[in-house]
Amino acid sequence: MDRGYYWLVFALAVPAFLWLVPTLWMVSLSFQPNEVLARTTSTTFFGLIPIPFTAENYAALFAFGQTPWWFLNSLIVAVGMTLGVLLVSTTAGYALARLDFPFKKTVMVICLVGLMVPEQAVFIPLYTMFADLGWHNSYHALILPRMAVPIGVFLMMQFFQAIPKDIEEAALIDGVGRLHIFWYIMLPLARPAMMTLAILTFLYAWNDYLWPLVSAQSRDYFTITLGLASIQSNFAQSEGLGRVMASGVIASLPVVILFLIFQRYVVQAMTVGGSKG
Amino acid sequence: MKHLMLTAAALTVLAGAAPAQEITLARFFGACEDAGTDTTTSTGEACIIQSIINAADAEIDGVSIETLPTDWGNYYDQVKAAFAGGSAPDVFVMHRHRIPEFAGIGALAEISGELEAAGIDASDWSETAREAVTYNGGIYGVPMDFHANLWHVNMELMEAAGLVEDGVPVLPSSPEELLAHAQQVKEATGQDYLAADFAQFPIGVRLVLALMWQQDANIFTEDGTATIDTEAGQNAVTAITQLFDAELANPQLNYADSQQAFLNGEAAILVNGTWVVDFYTAEAAKEEVALDDYYVADFPTLFEIGATWADSHMWAMPSTLEGADREAALKVLAFINEHNIDWARTGHMAVRTSVVESNAYTSLPHRDEYAGTAAIARDTPPSERYGAIQDVLNRELQAIWLTGKDVSAALSDAEVEVQDLLDR
Amino acid sequence: MQTKARRPLTERQTALILLAPFLVTYALFLVYPFFRGIWISLHDWNLLAVAFNPDAKEFVGLRNYERVMWGRDIAWGFASPVLQTLGALGLAATAWAYLTGRIARFNAVVLAVVSVLLIVLPGFHPDEEGRWYDRRFWPTVGNTILFVALAVPGVTFTALVLAACLNRETRAMGTLRTLFFLSQVLSVTVVTLIWQIMFSPRQGLIANVTGVLGASPINWLTDERFAMAAIVIATIWWSLGIAMILFLAGLQDISKDIYEAAAIDDATGVKAFWYITLPNLKRTITLVVVLQIILHFQVFGQAHLMTQGGPNDSTQVLVRYIYQTGFRDSELGRASAMAVFLFLIMGAFSLIQFAVGREKS
Repeated sequence: MDRGYYWLVFALAVPAFLWLVPTLWMVSLSFQPNEVLARTTSTTFFGLIPIPFTAENYAALFAFGQTPWWFLNSLIVAVGMTLGVLLVSTTAGYALARLDFPFKKTVMVICLVGLMVPEQAVFIPLYTMFADLGWHNSYHALILPRMAVPIGVFLMMQFFQAIPKDIEEAALIDGVGRLHIFWYIMLPLARPAMMTLAILTFLYAWNDYLWPLVSAQSRDYFTITLGLASIQSNFAQSEGLGRVMASGVIASLPVVILFLIFQRYVVQAMTVGGSKG
Repeated sequence: MKHLMLTAAALTVLAGAAPAQEITLARFFGACEDAGTDTTTSTGEACIIQSIINAADAEIDGVSIETLPTDWGNYYDQVKAAFAGGSAPDVFVMHRHRIPEFAGIGALAEISGELEAAGIDASDWSETAREAVTYNGGIYGVPMDFHANLWHVNMELMEAAGLVEDGVPVLPSSPEELLAHAQQVKEATGQDYLAADFAQFPIGVRLVLALMWQQDANIFTEDGTATIDTEAGQNAVTAITQLFDAELANPQLNYADSQQAFLNGEAAILVNGTWVVDFYTAEAAKEEVALDDYYVADFPTLFEIGATWADSHMWAMPSTLEGADREAALKVLAFINEHNIDWARTGHMAVRTSVVESNAYTSLPHRDEYAGTAAIARDTPPSERYGAIQDVLNRELQAIWLTGKDVSAALSDAEVEVQDLLDR
Repeated sequence: MQTKARRPLTERQTALILLAPFLVTYALFLVYPFFRGIWISLHDWNLLAVAFNPDAKEFVGLRNYERVMWGRDIAWGFASPVLQTLGALGLAATAWAYLTGRIARFNAVVLAVVSVLLIVLPGFHPDEEGRWYDRRFWPTVGNTILFVALAVPGVTFTALVLAACLNRETRAMGTLRTLFFLSQVLSVTVVTLIWQIMFSPRQGLIANVTGVLGASPINWLTDERFAMAAIVIATIWWSLGIAMILFLAGLQDISKDIYEAAAIDDATGVKAFWYITLPNLKRTITLVVVLQIILHFQVFGQAHLMTQGGPNDSTQVLVRYIYQTGFRDSELGRASAMAVFLFLIMGAFSLIQFAVGREKS
């Protein structure tokens, strides 16, 4: 830890603070009265310090707002999608990495081609397909289309390939079935890679905008992303900046907390997945 | 099986006469989550309409209403997506201009035969209101208002510029006078003469349209020929761009910013719709808001004929709605029709003759100041591609004032594109 | 016969069971929609009309593609000198590099194809009498490419520099990493919400700060010169995190010994970064760049919510145009044709990634 190190930390602290400023500003605005914000947003230190202070925006949100409800929907969709992707990716990844079966090469090539199909390129046919099935406005409509992600399969496949084979072979000699090995030996070993995949999927699900926009019209299935989009395109005519910002904070707080708890996995797990990618 | 049916029957009896009919309702106007059920005191479009809906939910027996969360920017996309996805809202608000698009393919319920039974007196609607909801001889909705572009005036600034006579603002009667007035305001107050959303929503388009209509021109004819790159089009655009060129107006303000500029006393005139009259009235009454002396004026005639952009909000139901749902939806439409006076508080013009003639209506703030608007209300000919056409115009006009595109190049580009849309 | 309960599954059966969930979702939600998309693109298909009457679609062959991408009296010539010259130079450079044995044959072919496309495609233009049938499509593609061309290097460069600086296992560095990553977890609508207000000339923080310095506020989102920059800035702020983490992961794979050896030769700091870090990170950089390209080509939320594609279409991007064509104009056929085009572009990038990856291994 030389002097150069402390200079570096200091030199980086400035951009890091700047990076944080937009978020801080949102939080600060959410604690200021709407009447004040209608006139100026920079009362105290460019508005970065919430003086005059009020918690009214939050009180109103919880009293009348749909934000908590949207938040819950987002959580259901994100968790559901994450579990689904984990299921699909670990099983297929293991099979492709370790098992021998007919047409294995073909399956792999088909997956590879699938990597090229962007979700946004198939949202229209998906939309008509779900309309024909009458599936719109449901959790499964929001979750299912995003479960088919070949990239997850590849990530898991590469991870399984990197695990030494002798672990499995010992078990095979003991007559333990493949499914058993997969479940009790390989999956626990795959925790870090699964963590990466889970985090990436969760973030992806949380941010998904276009698909919910066309699929969910009912309030019961609005996600937070959609809800906030509707709030911001309406805000010129309605509740005021502070309230809108408070919704933004409420929408973000849980993921931020989740991230802070699990952040060591983010770095750790990506090391596993990333360098192999 | 029999046992089960008996139980079900018993449960129905226990639960009351009829289970509440769940009605889904889609609307724009913005969110107002704490609207309550008092329809007589709420202010602003969002809160007034939501209070009416809440009251309907509370007062109509056996009907409960769920308001769908939609937003202005994506409203019609979302309604269409809902229609195509088989989950169309039971009741939804729409603009008159969208009728050809929706009714043209049979998406809307024709309700002329059911109005009377539902307690809606169609004969009370003004002639133009009935026309607004009529398509190919059928009635496809319940009209709620006329809304139009107005000139919202800051009388203090106008006074300072010597543009007030007998307590009434002096508005221009020609493009030349417009420029002269703008210069007067700038010299006297240092502020802009005119503000409007020229950069986001198509308020600037509506301004240009009005100026074209005032020259007895239109952007396309009834038989589908685009006529934008014309002398009238040029005149209309240059009447506005002369203000930008002389820096007497700022084309880069969007909806929120232009409104803020007006409320902050930074513009003498704001061109915006009827929907903000009550909001600006309330704001002007506040101590901390710079705008104090607020006045509403009809869109002035700069050319030969009076004209301003206007449209109509109406409530419709999908053609697929049947049985008890349809009855319940009609009850909701009737309830909204009953509360026409409450909705008119926003500043919109009422559609029911009995309301228009009532004291409660004529005594609404500023109402007398824009009484002439109903007579000059205009819109483009009906088209299934109204939204896309507006978008073309908005883009090309923005190109003129935001990016300096040559006026006739922009107008001829717009004409080509609108013609494409009409030909499709 | 053996008792069934005790017989372990064969490898094939296990594979089938394990692959089933993937194959089923993959077939149903990616493969089938993909082909259905192509099928829709061959029809005149009105969203609402077909919803009310499934027979209201009409097979029109490739007309949607023609109407979107082609025009009347399209000529070919030296219409876009900059791009076409670039293509010609690229072709020459590829030939030179291949002939002198600097690049492998496969890569040479890929580069040559890209260069030729760069010469050929921008050359198409309507002659004096002609016009594009859809005048917005190619400019929209151009905007999307511009967005990618700004956002990808922006994110990659910033993330790389930060990762190199933050690559130490100390508490302070960990905290700083967290701060830089934090914005990545925000939802796209929160990001646009924040930045819409940040950029506002009246209420925005940026205008407030520059106002104190005496500058007149910039209308970021409504000025043609700044609108694209504004959404790029918001995008970089938002999506830097994952790129940075991937770089950190790549950096941790580089052995410390190399740096120590280099330090003896007086290669530290910027020098070490240039001669050791960068060459060793090549693979990670390629990965990050390709992932970003694929991600940003599909940009929608930022343009849809912050600028609504404006002003004057300068931030109109491909996915937003697809959405508008499909859901505002109800023309699913046309929209699908554009989606197929999007797929082709993304496919091309994936192929390039595949090619580069192949050479490395």
